[in-house]
Amino acid sequence: MRRQILLWTCAVAALLASCSKPKSEGAGSEAKAPPKGAAEPAAGGPTKLTVAAIAIVDVAPLYLGNQKGFFAEQNLDLKIQNTQGGAESVPGVVSGQFQFAFANMISLLLGHAKGLPLKVVAAGNFSTGKAEDFGGIIIPAGSAVKAMKDLEGKTLAVNQINNIGGVTVRAAMRKAGGDPDKIKFIEIPFPQMPGALGEKRVDAAWVVEPFLTVARGQGATVLDWNFADTAPTLMIAAYFTTRDYAQGNPDVVKRFTAAINKSLSYAAEHPDEARAILLTYTKIEKPTADKLNLPLWTPEINRASVGVLADLMVQDKLVTAKPDVDALLQ
Amino acid sequence: MTTASPEPRRGRQRAVLGALGLAGAAALAEIVPRIGVVSPRYLPPFSAMLGALGREASSPAFWRALLDTLQGWALGLAIAVTAGVVLGAVIGSRRGLRAATASTIEFLRPIPSVALIPVAVLLYGAQLRSTLLLVVYASFWPMLLQVIHGVGDVDPVARDTALSYRFTVWAKLRYLVLPSALPYILTGVRLSAAIALILAITAELVIGTPGLGKEIGVAMSSSAVPAMYALILVVGLLGVAVNVGFRALERRVLAWHLSVRTEAAT
Amino acid sequence: MTASLRRVALAVALPGLLFALWWIASDDSVSFYLPPLRRIVAAFGPTWSPRWASHVAPSIARLVIGYAGAVVLGVGLGVPLGGRPRLRAALEPVLELARALPPPALVPVFMLLFGIGTAMKLLVIVSGAVWPVLLNTIEGVRAVDDVLADTCRCYGITGATRLRVLVLRAASPQIVTGMRQALSIAIILMVISEMFASSSGLGYAIIDFQRGFSIPEMWSGVILLGVLGFAMSIGFRVFEARVLRWYHAQRRVRGEP
Repeated sequence: MRRQILLWTCAVAALLASCSKPKSEGAGSEAKAPPKGAAEPAAGGPTKLTVAAIAIVDVAPLYLGNQKGFFAEQNLDLKIQNTQGGAESVPGVVSGQFQFAFANMISLLLGHAKGLPLKVVAAGNFSTGKAEDFGGIIIPAGSAVKAMKDLEGKTLAVNQINNIGGVTVRAAMRKAGGDPDKIKFIEIPFPQMPGALGEKRVDAAWVVEPFLTVARGQGATVLDWNFADTAPTLMIAAYFTTRDYAQGNPDVVKRFTAAINKSLSYAAEHPDEARAILLTYTKIEKPTADKLNLPLWTPEINRASVGVLADLMVQDKLVTAKPDVDALLQ
Repeated sequence: MTTASPEPRRGRQRAVLGALGLAGAAALAEIVPRIGVVSPRYLPPFSAMLGALGREASSPAFWRALLDTLQGWALGLAIAVTAGVVLGAVIGSRRGLRAATASTIEFLRPIPSVALIPVAVLLYGAQLRSTLLLVVYASFWPMLLQVIHGVGDVDPVARDTALSYRFTVWAKLRYLVLPSALPYILTGVRLSAAIALILAITAELVIGTPGLGKEIGVAMSSSAVPAMYALILVVGLLGVAVNVGFRALERRVLAWHLSVRTEAAT
Repeated sequence: MTASLRRVALAVALPGLLFALWWIASDDSVSFYLPPLRRIVAAFGPTWSPRWASHVAPSIARLVIGYAGAVVLGVGLGVPLGGRPRLRAALEPVLELARALPPPALVPVFMLLFGIGTAMKLLVIVSGAVWPVLLNTIEGVRAVDDVLADTCRCYGITGATRLRVLVLRAASPQIVTGMRQALSIAIILMVISEMFASSSGLGYAIIDFQRGFSIPEMWSGVILLGVLGFAMSIGFRVFEARVLRWYHAQRRVRGEP
């Protein structure tokens, strides 16, 4: 009888242990994550940092500044880690896998609205605010669509519907007097958009560089510059960390911010060097790199544009209440 | 009784036919894009795929990715097999436990492992542990079920004999349970190995953990179509190697086992 | 009466216990990614009732159509292959290789060849789910009893009747085994095909929740997928019991487990 009870308990315990293995590992990895202060140097050596960034045009200043030694100047040893998007870098920063990361404002506002303790430390990149921006809505050659309003009832490709692409396209549609709900959005990864457009699988697409240049090289034309339609000098993305890390390592954050801001200004003043650095960390080819539209880079965080995005998120039902922009940017 | 003479001829005939089949498929893959039935941009000719394969094989990044995939596969498989054997042995040995856990297993088993992808991304990001989460979850169930079946399949006469001779738990495991459960365990390992490979590639492709699957995704994003096909071919060959390898292992280990059993029966 | 009651009690005992333990253990959880089960359950209704028609129903429809296509294709190809050993020998290495290609790795290929619409998703499901059906059909057709085959020949039963009465019926236990394996593969592929280049579907919704950090909603989706898989496997068990009633009865008579 006792042996039976013992065996039952063992079996249940084993089952529970195996079932909860991934979960407890998860909780453990959050608790055991390198303590937020671990980035402080042992004794006078440069602070080692890992920054998560997507290998896209937007983060050219990061790579350029690193190459030029702006981070070494600030006694920072930078390791840039390739990630696939905000959905990956945000959890990575929260868990301590990365100390800083680059993500677009909508991802940051979403995370912030859901209670993740994020804090923006520096601007990432901006729309140029006028024609020849680094992203826009394109239509194939010979398309029947002539104005934004014609997009009602048509299919439009974005990389993510509930993110900056979808939000700014809808805002541009509203500005042109059209109904954004009548657009049929389809999610396609950026690299496949020129092909999908050329094959007439979609009626229009929202793309960013370098795919904008690639598509235009295949005959597509720009219908609208939706970033410019959304807000003047729209801040698209930013570099961020967690509030805990910022509180625990204010000096590191200050140095990182100084280095990034210097890199942003430098990249804005030396666009040729920015184009050159693209060739080192992306698969973009030189002819495309020379022709594409660079985003605007400046160290000044544009609070007003972030407020506009927050309002749009409420309007598009991404969140129920407007996120506290100041708390995120503070 | 000897069947030596028809067997090799039939075997050779099968090998020849098989080679013809492969050659035919390769020829098809070469001709179809060239005559334009499918655009060569989407389906490059077979020769282009081979060319890309050669280029990949000469790049160290490819071999690193291959090792990463194998690492995730092997580690995940090892964990799943160990957990499956231990739990399966415990559950399978008592009818009461089998009955009590049946419904739970029936509920958890059909949960598609890919449903854990978002969870893995949030918890572990694009690291080995994400791959392991998916691989272990998917490969564990076939292993568990096979072991439960095997352990429960012990010959009742043998079991009673072991009881009357008061075998220790260890002796029972070694002489009673293990021999009869071994075929099931090996089948389970073979099934789990195939599933583990598929899930490892899936995790790498969707989440972006380092490995061949990630390289396939990168090739796709850079529109390097021949390279993409070449990598997919490599993954297929890997899968065939795993299948063939484990089937051969099964035959070797069980050759002993089966002949022992037939000896004992006659 | 008590026997069946006991069976039901046994079936719900452990799951109920685990569910309760999960509830209690997670109740005071502050972890962002592992919220209390209470919140997940509370999120179920508001998350899925508006999405039922736009996301869940199309997913299930694609699953059913893709699965049916895989079964038809698998049986349709398996029967002729099972009966022609030379053709089988020629195609075997090619089929082995094709079978070993992980379907998720083929999604980029299908996106290239067939675009991004429903056709691509159905093809992804068929491409993976066809293999267990095909291989098991071949095995089942190969193993048709020689005596029965000879009897058919004696009685002059050929063609479609022979197919229906002899081949398919004899191979049906194997085919049904293949169909069962194909079902779980079809579910997995349905989810995968919606995680890439999709704008609707259960898989898409779950990924969208993950990207938007809506964690309780994401978990509710994961659980919904589990419930879906479970419901399908139960449904399949019912189907199997009816279709193979003759086979199970035969085995019971023979004393096989």
